[in-house]
Formats: sequence, C-alpha cells, structure tokens
Amino acid sequence: MKDHILEIKDLHIQFNTDEGVVQALNGIDITLERGKTLGLVGETGAGKTTTALSILRLVPRPPGEVVRGSIILDGIPIMEQSEYEMEKIRGKTVSMIFQDPMTALNPVIKVGEQIAEAISIHQKLSKEKSLAKAREVLELVGIPGNRMQEYPHQFSGGMKQRVIIAIALSCSPKLLIADEPTTALDVTIQAQVLELMKELKQKFHMAMVMISHDLGVVAEVCDDVAIMYAGKIVEQGSLEDVFLRTKHPYTEGLFNSIPNIDDRKAELIPIRGLMSDPYNLPSGCPFFDRCDYAMDICRTEKPVKHSFSDTHFTECHLYTAQPEFSLKSKKTKE
Amino acid sequence: MLIPVMLGVIFLVFFIISLTPGDAASMILGDGATEERIIELRDDMGLDDPLIVQYGRYMWDLLRGNMGDSYSTGRSVAGEIVQRFPNTFKLTVTAIFLSVLISIPIGVISATKQYSLFDNIGMILALVGISMPSFWTGLILIIIFALNLGWFPSGGMKGIMSLVLPAFTLAIASTASITRTTRSSMLEVIRQDYINTAKAKGVSRRKVITRHALGNALIPAVTVIGLEFGILLGGAVLTETVFSWPGIGRLMVESIQRKDTPMVLGCVIIFSLSFSIVNLIIDILYAYIDPRIKANYT
Amino acid sequence: MSTPTTTTYEKHTLNTKKKSQWLDVWKRLKKSRTAVIGLILILVFLMLALFAPFIADYEKDALGMNVKERLQSPSLTHWFGTDEFGRDIFARIVYGTRISLFVGIISVSIALSLGGTLGAIAGYYGGRIDNAIMRVLDVLLAIPTILLAITIVAALGASILNLMIAVGISNIPGFARVVRASVLSVKDQEYIESARAIGARDHTIILKHVLPNSMAPIVVFATLKVASAIMATSSLSFIGLGIQPPTPEWGNMLAGGRAYIRDHMYIVLSPGLAIVLTVLSLNLIGDGLRDALDPKLK
Ligand SMILES: Nc1ncnc2c1ncn2[C@@H]1O[C@H](COP(=O)(O)OP(=O)(O)OP(=O)(O)O)[C@@H](O)[C@H]1O
Ligand SMILES: [Mg+2]
Repeated sequence: MKDHILEIKDLHIQFNTDEGVVQALNGIDITLERGKTLGLVGETGAGKTTTALSILRLVPRPPGEVVRGSIILDGIPIMEQSEYEMEKIRGKTVSMIFQDPMTALNPVIKVGEQIAEAISIHQKLSKEKSLAKAREVLELVGIPGNRMQEYPHQFSGGMKQRVIIAIALSCSPKLLIADEPTTALDVTIQAQVLELMKELKQKFHMAMVMISHDLGVVAEVCDDVAIMYAGKIVEQGSLEDVFLRTKHPYTEGLFNSIPNIDDRKAELIPIRGLMSDPYNLPSGCPFFDRCDYAMDICRTEKPVKHSFSDTHFTECHLYTAQPEFSLKSKKTKE
Repeated sequence: MLIPVMLGVIFLVFFIISLTPGDAASMILGDGATEERIIELRDDMGLDDPLIVQYGRYMWDLLRGNMGDSYSTGRSVAGEIVQRFPNTFKLTVTAIFLSVLISIPIGVISATKQYSLFDNIGMILALVGISMPSFWTGLILIIIFALNLGWFPSGGMKGIMSLVLPAFTLAIASTASITRTTRSSMLEVIRQDYINTAKAKGVSRRKVITRHALGNALIPAVTVIGLEFGILLGGAVLTETVFSWPGIGRLMVESIQRKDTPMVLGCVIIFSLSFSIVNLIIDILYAYIDPRIKANYT
Repeated sequence: MSTPTTTTYEKHTLNTKKKSQWLDVWKRLKKSRTAVIGLILILVFLMLALFAPFIADYEKDALGMNVKERLQSPSLTHWFGTDEFGRDIFARIVYGTRISLFVGIISVSIALSLGGTLGAIAGYYGGRIDNAIMRVLDVLLAIPTILLAITIVAALGASILNLMIAVGISNIPGFARVVRASVLSVKDQEYIESARAIGARDHTIILKHVLPNSMAPIVVFATLKVASAIMATSSLSFIGLGIQPPTPEWGNMLAGGRAYIRDHMYIVLSPGLAIVLTVLSLNLIGDGLRDALDPKLK
C-alpha cells in the first residue's frame, strides 16, 4: 500500500434543515498520495465544498451531520480527534483556501496580522517573529511587505486571493485544499494565481485538492481527477484516465459541454436537465434521467464501483453487463 | 452637521413652546398685577414681536450663554441647568455603562449557543426588558430593594448607594435592546466566510469569537448604543421623577407643571445637544472599529 | 420591452405571488410559539377593550368613588383590589385597555400617514426633495422621541387628542425612514419601470406598485411602534401630561397609586403588568412577523 496523505472512506454527510434532509455526500471514497494533486470536479451543489470542509471537520453542525464514514489525514483519524486536537491540525497539517476571496478575509484585522496569526498559533513564535515571518510569506506570494499594515478593503480581488494563499501556506501544510480558488477572479488574474499555486506547491512539496468546475484548470495542475455528481464520486483516475479514457456518461457530458480549441466546429452538447433535487434523491442512479445511455436497471438500482486499473474506477451500470463498453463521444475517441 | 441640526432643533422647540396658550407676562407678575404693568412687561420682553425676531433674540442671548430667566423663580435658566446637569450626566452615563457591560457578553454567549437554554431565557428576558416601562420598574425596585429589604434609599441623591436603583432602572431597557442587537449581529457575523478562514487556520473557538467575530459584530452594536442613549435621556425624565433625582429631567417636569417655558426650552435644548454630541462621539468611535470608514475620513 | 400586455401579465403574476407570500408568512408565523403567545395575549386585550361595558360599569366601578372601600387588597369582589378612592382596580384596568389601544393605534396611524408620505416622496423622487426632507427629519431625530412628545403636550396642553398628536408627530421620522428605505429598495425594479413606461402617474405608481411591494418592513415597524406608543402614552400620563384623572389610564393609575406603595403594593402591580403584557405581546408579534417575513435570518 502506498503512503497516502488523505484517505476518505464511505463518507456520508447530510444537512438537517427545516425544509427537510439534504443528502449532500452519499458515500465518498478518495485517496490521495503525498505530494500529488487531485482535481475535484462537479457542478454546483455536487458536494465539493462539503467534502473539503469535512476534511477539516468544519462542516457546520447543526445543520450538518456526519452519518458515517472515516477520514484519515496524514495517518490521523479525523473523526476521532477532540476539538482541541483539530485546532492543532487545522492550518498546520491541512489548510484551506475558500471559494470567494472577497469575503474570506476579516475586514477589521490588518492583512499582516491575519497571516501572522496562523504562524504564531502553530509555531509558537512571539508576535514580532510571526509578523516578520508573515512578511516573508507575503512577499513569497508577490505582495510587497510594506502592505502588511493595510486592511483587506485596500486590496484588489487578485491580491486578496494571494493573501489567502499566504495564510494557507504560512505553516507549510502537507495538504492544501483549494475550493475554486480562481473562479471569482478575472481571467488574467486567474492565470497568475494558478501559476503561483503550482510554483508554491512544488516548493513546499504539498499535496493538494483542487476543487473546480473548470476542466481546463484541472488539466493544467492536477495529477488525478475525481468527478462528483450528487454527493458521489462517479469517476476517478489519473488525468489521462479521466480525460482520454472517459468512462462515465456524466464525465463525457462535461467534456462535451466545453468548447474545444482544436475542433471549433464541433458542436457543444450541454448536459440536459438539472441535477436531481438534493432533498429527494432517486433510489437508483442519480444521473439516470439526464443520461443518454440510461437502462432500466439505472432507475431502480444504485450503480456499484467498477475498476479498470489500480487507479481508475467509475460507478456506472454500463460496465456491469459489458466491461468493454465504450462511450460514443467524439472527444474521447482521439 | 451638529451646528445646523442644533439650530433647527432650537427653532423647532422654540416654535412648539410658543404655541403655549396664556400670557407669559401676566404669569410672571401673578394675579394681582395691573394692566399697565403687564403691558409694560410684554413690551420689555418683546412678546409682541414676530416669532422669528424673538427667536433671533433668543439665539443671540444663547450664544452668550444666556437662556433667559425662570418665570417662576426668576433665577437664570442657564445657571439652574449647569447646576443640575452633572446629576443627569452621572445617572445616564452609569446606566449606559451598565448596559454595555451586561449586554455585550450576554449577546455574544446567546449567539454562540443559539437555541440553547441560556439563549432562550436570555432572549425572553430581553424582550420582557424592552417591554417594561421604566417608571413602573422603578416603583417595583423601590418596593423590593428600598421599602422591603432596605438596601438602597428609595429616592434622592445622597452618595453612591442612591445611584444604584435609578441607574439600574434606566439601564434595563437599553440593556435589553443592545443584547438583542449584539446577538443578531453576532449570528450574522459567525456565518461569514472569514470566520471559516480563521477556523481553518487553527484559531481556537474562543479566539474566533473574541478576536474575529466580536470586532465585526460590534459595529452595528455601537450604532444601537448611540440610539439607546437618546432613549435613555428620555427615560431619565421618568426615572428622575420616580426617584426624586435632582437632574434635568425632573427639572423639566416641574417646569412644565409650573408653565415655566424658558426653563422647559432650556431643558429640551440641553437634552438634544447631549444626544447630538453622543452621536458625534459614536461616529468617531466608528472610525476606530471599522477600518473601512477610517479610510473615508483620512 | 414593456408593452401593456407584459405589464398586465406581470401585475397578475405579481398579485398571486403577493397573496401566496402573505399566506406563507402566516404559516411561518403560526409556527413560532412566541408569536402565537403574543397574538393570543393581544386578542385577550382587544376583547377586554371591546366588551368592557359587559365586564364592569364605567360610571359605577371605574369612576365611582367609595371611601369606605378604599385601599382594599385583592379579593373575590375586587380581583385586583381597590385604589385610594375605593375604585375597583380591575374595572379601571379594563377601561384603561380601551384608551391605551386606541391612543396607540391612532397615534401610529398619524405617524404612518404623515411620516409614510414624507418617506415615500423622499424615496421615490430622490435628489433635492429627498435631501430637503431628510434634513428636516434629522432635526426631529435629534430630539429624543419621548422628549419631543413631552414638549408638544406641554405646549398644547394635556388632552387625549393632543397626546395622540404628540406621540404621532414624535414618531414621524422613524416611519419616514423605514418607508423611504423600502421604497428605495423596490423603486428600480422592472415592474415599476414598466408601469412608468406605459405612462402611469407618479402617485398611482407609488400607491399601486411601490407601497404594496414594500409593505413587509413597514408592517413590522408599525407593530413595534404601537407597542412603544402605548408605552409613551402611559409615560406621559404618569408625569401628568397625558390622560388626566379621573379617566382611568394605566400610567395615571400608577401615578395615583405611587403614594401608597409602602403598604399597598398591589395598587401599582396590576396596572404595570397590564402595560408590560400589552407591550410585550406586540413586541412578540413584531418579532415573529420579522422572522416570518425574512426566514433566512433568525
Ligand atoms: N449549511 C448548509 N445547510 C443546508 N444545506 C447545505 C449547507 N451547506 C451545503 N448544503 C447543501 O449541500 C449540498 C452540497 O453543497 P456544497 O456547498 O458542498 O456544493 P458545491 O459542490 O461546493 O457547490 P458550488 O460549486 O456551488 O460551490 C447542496 O445541495 C447544498 O444546498
Ligand atoms: Mg462550493
């Protein structure tokens, strides 16, 4: 068995709200090797943020509830830690970059202090030393150290995201979770921030979970890819597996709905319909009513995991009957 | 902003008071006055001039610290107010300090333990608190703590002990509403993304609240503290009446009963001025706790 | 884009949307235990006010003095005891309910119609008109509400009409602000633009389109203000500036009973509780309404 930084097994999380129960995660399995980057892809509401928060045990509770499952982070069973132990893990072993840089920084605390805070907590340094170190980290992400004294509202969106990256990296975590770190930024800034993250990842030898719904971003930075749909990982594999040997109809649908530079005449085929109502998931495959390949069994029975190699698997009924089945997509047929 | 508003306030109050029926001159001179004396005095006081002229004269005097003389005692209004003001100041400032000291911790704890027993009881008490008229609360406190237990005097102003009951009475309503505001803004703040960022850094639960959430939640709380101070000044009129506290509020009520218009006018002006100054202080305080506003100032 | 057909269509969907929205609000309100308690309480008080003549005789029980029966403790014949003139306190409280609710509702109506008009005009037209109105309101706001009311009654003289005028006027700025804010929040929405595009007149737009869609915060505010108007009424009566004895009013009952609290505390207990319960029930309803109208907060 390889040395894994992260192992999530059979994770079920639901939100008990006034309107009903949202089954946000329905049996997630994820493994990630040290130093590797996993792309977590899925449309809105698929459960990406919930997965990320569960690794830090920050799913709001109530309404959130972990029904079952385990998470092993760097050898530590997360579910069994006390809150105090979790505080020592957060920011040090694993840290997270949140979706929206505009709201992720505290508006009334100086930027420098927000970075230094993590340092002083985990490295037990004096205030001056943490600030000095925070300055180094700030410069590392490309912001002049003299802006330490400023407040977040004095920074642009791209700079805020850099600050957030600095906070996340300040204690050299072993795993960095980035929740759509670039979607809120404009395109030119996106590229810069992405470049910066790639560079820093190399430098710190971190593993990374990169959440995104942009397959382009994923192709650029990830080693492995996991495709999420309605609280399940429907396909997971190496970048090549998922991009070139696509197995799940939903993954295929994702590829068909983005433009292809090499073949601009190819028509875009959006996935029809909407994701199933999270309050009321169907008993069979949740993708059933949007799937071009749907069969009778898909309506009634949950698909099971089907492996193609050590690393590549999908959850789809298509391969139970015909293991050699191949999707019709133009793009995957090279 | 302060000066034009105060000019407006004085004009408005001057106008309202001028609607008082009855003749000031005959009131000052009493029943036995002759017709000539009254006419003479009316002339002296300029009571037959147009209102705007009387207002101008009043403002001119006011600028030199003269607010006229009391109709009933003949003493200088400004003098009387200067003498009484410290008492009202003592009472209201103690009350607002009490409120802030009690309400902020309760509001914070309630929010962090939303729907807990503490929160539920706290919120019910707060709602009852804003529903109690201060003059009645005062009477009840007098019955319990002065007449029955004898811990505090039931009225008057002698020493620190006599401050306790009136200050508490006055503080109840504002404590209740500052608690409610603190709780709801705290609830709003702890849902924000930056709170998650702080937790993800490994900041302890207590520090997330005290350092990251409270700083932001105080911003709306401070606004309410300013507004509550206005309500508290109004409440002082009643509290001072109940506890025979020799402040501006009681002076105002007595003056109304004696139809002593210059004194009433003086009291309202001094109350409004205090309120406006408090709001000015709140505005400045704002700049300290909210860096986004400081940026606009400098 | 805004042909008459689309507007009728939009108006239609809008109206059905509105109806179901209020139905939703009612459903959510029913779910809140505290709001239901408030509703029941206020219903009880409304019943008392409505059926007062069936409960007690105004002339005989509430006004008729009976020196032989003065200052009696609560008993089966006199549920809440008798006051210093031997009048039945329960009967006086029942008739006091009429006055409190009446004055509370009428003065809020005055404030709502005057303040609301000012606020709607300011919000709808904006620019200079808005500026002028808001500056005048700043002046009114600088005088603590209850002090403004006291000043007005002091000048006009104590009577039920003047009391309602005073409490009404002193609440104008609050209503103007709330109405202005909610008008601002809906004014630029598409259905307003389309109504304007088909040439509807300004006052039609304001009355038919803007106000109905900005009702929610106004309803909440008005409910809470009836509570504070009732409080203000009793406060003014307590210091002798509101309803004059012998007419029974909770505030003046407290003022009358004040001298007897040493040995007869029940005399101030029940009128005070009546105030607390009425004000509390309205506050409960107001809070419940606010949560029901804005379910995402809580
Ligand atoms: N605090 C919460 N209370 C109730 N439901 C929640 C909560 N947080 C998430 N959910 C629900 O859980 C499901 C998964 O949400 P999640 O935020 O993980 O999606 P996501 O994949 O991150 O989507 P996005 O791309 O929009 O960020 C959604 O149906 C969402 O409505
Ligand atoms: Mg998300």
